[in-house]
Amino acid sequence: MSKSRQELALYALEALKKAGADKAACKVTRSRKEEFNIEANNFSLLRTLFNDELYLKALIGGKKGVVSVNKLDKDSIDKAVDDCVTLAKSATPDEAEDIAEKAENKSFSRNIGGPDMASLFTRTKEFLEQSKDEFPKIIFESMASEFTASETTYVNSNGVEFNDECECYSYGPMFSAKDGEKSSSFNYTGSTLTRLDKPFMDIGLMRALLDESVRSLDTRMVDEKFVGKVIVAPTCGDMIWDTLLYSFLGDGSLIEGTSRWKDSLGEKVADSKLTMRLAPLNEGIVGGERFTPDGFEAQNTDLIRDGVLNSFALSLYGSKKVSKPRALCSSGALEIVAGDASLADMIKSVEKGILLGRFSGASPGASGDVSGVAKNSFLIENGAVTDAISETMVSFNVVDILQNILSISKERNEDGSSLLPWCLFDGITVSGK
Amino acid sequence: MLRDLLSEHKSSFKDYTELRAQVNTSSRVTLLAGNMVSNAQSSGGGVSARVYKGGTFGFASGAEYSAESVKNILTAATDNALFMDNHVKKGQPPLPTLTADNVGLKLKPGSEAPQSVLIDFANELDSIIEKKYKKLTSRTVVADYLGIEKMLVVSDGASSHSFQPRSTVYVFMSAETDDGIPIELFEPFSALGQFDTLYPDPKNLMESVDRLYEQLMHKREGVYSKAGLCKCIMHPDLAGILAHEAVGHTVEADLVLGGSVAAHNMGKQVASELVSMVDFAHTALGKPCPLPVYVDDEGVVAEDALLIEDGILKSYMHNRESARHFDVKPQGNARAFAFTDEPLIRMRNTAILPGKSKLEDMIASIDDGYYLVKTGNGQADTTGEFMFSVELGYEIKNGKLGKAIRETTISGVAFEMLKTVDMVSDDMLWSCSGFCGKKQYMTTAGGGPALRCEINIGGR
Repeated sequence: MSKSRQELALYALEALKKAGADKAACKVTRSRKEEFNIEANNFSLLRTLFNDELYLKALIGGKKGVVSVNKLDKDSIDKAVDDCVTLAKSATPDEAEDIAEKAENKSFSRNIGGPDMASLFTRTKEFLEQSKDEFPKIIFESMASEFTASETTYVNSNGVEFNDECECYSYGPMFSAKDGEKSSSFNYTGSTLTRLDKPFMDIGLMRALLDESVRSLDTRMVDEKFVGKVIVAPTCGDMIWDTLLYSFLGDGSLIEGTSRWKDSLGEKVADSKLTMRLAPLNEGIVGGERFTPDGFEAQNTDLIRDGVLNSFALSLYGSKKVSKPRALCSSGALEIVAGDASLADMIKSVEKGILLGRFSGASPGASGDVSGVAKNSFLIENGAVTDAISETMVSFNVVDILQNILSISKERNEDGSSLLPWCLFDGITVSGK
Repeated sequence: MLRDLLSEHKSSFKDYTELRAQVNTSSRVTLLAGNMVSNAQSSGGGVSARVYKGGTFGFASGAEYSAESVKNILTAATDNALFMDNHVKKGQPPLPTLTADNVGLKLKPGSEAPQSVLIDFANELDSIIEKKYKKLTSRTVVADYLGIEKMLVVSDGASSHSFQPRSTVYVFMSAETDDGIPIELFEPFSALGQFDTLYPDPKNLMESVDRLYEQLMHKREGVYSKAGLCKCIMHPDLAGILAHEAVGHTVEADLVLGGSVAAHNMGKQVASELVSMVDFAHTALGKPCPLPVYVDDEGVVAEDALLIEDGILKSYMHNRESARHFDVKPQGNARAFAFTDEPLIRMRNTAILPGKSKLEDMIASIDDGYYLVKTGNGQADTTGEFMFSVELGYEIKNGKLGKAIRETTISGVAFEMLKTVDMVSDDMLWSCSGFCGKKQYMTTAGGGPALRCEINIGGR
């Protein structure tokens, strides 16, 4: 069946309706990836992937079935449609199940002219050589640099149709420093790009993080326990921001009723310096979402605005289930609005504390209590960053700590996937061995 | 079941080549507080080829599985290998040829339970939990199935056909302390096999589910642990994740070459002499492993890898290329999760071996410490520094279990912490419910006995 993806999507949608679906949605994606791999500082592999995806959702009397397959021939589509309807018929009905209502149909194109593998190879090789010159003690345990392209069509039985074509480059090394038998903790970073016009070494925090790894070959244990100030680096953003997003603002904890913020919409939940948003349309985000899995056109969503809880991160289903407004986009592309402090001034303001570069800890439970090990982190003493630390634990409550934001930096790490500043918190427990 | 469209292409292999057809099928039903938030099936399959030339690989994969697409993918992988060889110029010789084996199916695909079986099971178990346990604020029941079928031919003559079905039930429970703080616990049940065979009746799980509720009620009354270094008993669940995260990853040969702590410890004492650790292929201590691997995705027949023996680091885990580098025999650790994935060095069934002590004697031997029972997740560094969450534990006071403790974290450096092990229980538990993440996902199993050791515990 050599049909366009729009024709395939509409064919599957009609088949779902004919098979008994009251409401239905269908998404067809064709994707390609070209990826260089590095292991232990050396090129190891060139990988080319072609894949297809057919995603089907059928609602029959409020009963839902979802099937995804990676074949787009007629027999595979027909079987997937049958399977999807069978699944829906055997499900439990739920009035909250729905699909997006009709809105303006749109097409988006973020193509960059296809892969330039010669340039990608050159940039990757240049990065390895620069690293060898500038940071000879760095070992790249693994690294991928890649080009990805995807073409997607979404249609639903309310008449919604979105088309999106998107291409981008990305790279992400995992590395540590090694000197004889001494080794630093591993660290990782990366960026998503639309152009290969700059050396990877000069993008984002790359050079700074490699330098930090080398400085972390010799560490010092914190030999006491104190409650104090911690500067959380953008590289450690998942410790707080992602946790808030997934554990307190999303469908799961709100449907369960376990989110500590379930009744806090419109209330102050953080210091007024904090504005946290999902920003897929921000120009610093590469390949951001253009339509949600529910079939709505994506818009930026302020979750916390000036410290006030402005929106949950609810899907259409979650929204109907808890009778609260849905988020205007689905996930990712996290932005913390920059503050007015310079990072240098933030460090100067700390008499004794930690610059937290990475956090190895468990996801917090519903209480929000978090504890874990400070990785790739440094002591701050008398307003200056001093020694790298090891075997040091930090603990705090991720909800309560938002009231203790002392400052947010002007500088942000903008890696194409998120826009995050440094943030100075007070009241975090730091304990050594 | 996959048809063999691969063998006919063997004659066109010029360099070291793997040609693999694969299909992963999964089903999942999730009930969140009684709401069926997930009722989904997926299937992803296709063909991939990997070609080695001069020290680098070319790889390609495509979703279509036909005689024509196999040929195209083989050509694309060969072109990628040539590109790399021309640009990188490592000048390495071809990979050594191994004894060629043909490993056939041990389990047959094609008898997956219909989705209605998972739905009925989840609904019934959820209904029992809702009616029986009155102090819950929420609950989640997940019924999950994953089947992986692979067919492989390799240029040195090896070939295989394998199928690994895994069925899992997850039960999550939430409650609140008297002062309104939410607390949670979960229990996974997972094993090799089809869902309807393993879980014919939800009532069969109730002994464990009852215990989970009881433990959650203990946790409601839990106290914060006292931060610092202390004497602990680690439940086998924690020993299993310790074996995997803190030790297993550091002895994967690609990570050794990437600078892991194990690089300088071969043949050295890295643990108490009570500690031995093995990455089992398919049979452990006379019984089938939870997730048996008979042949890997480089066509190497799987054997056990003895990693630590009586506290001495004995070997790493390898693929064909790293085995050549270290001049050892590969033992079948090169595994790929999806058809789009190239084989990486992965664990299979990794366990610390049981010892001679009785768990009750181990607990009785501690005056002031903790019995650490359940973990949520864990991470480890290539330095061997690790961190695990502790979702459930108990105080030990004067040799007896005391109050439960609230969620906390333990941390340490594996090769230092393992030297403090001075008692190892004579029993052993396996777990195979999770996924290991290392560029790709992978199904793995971890196991072990209870350990008495010193460890750094978080707290207030």
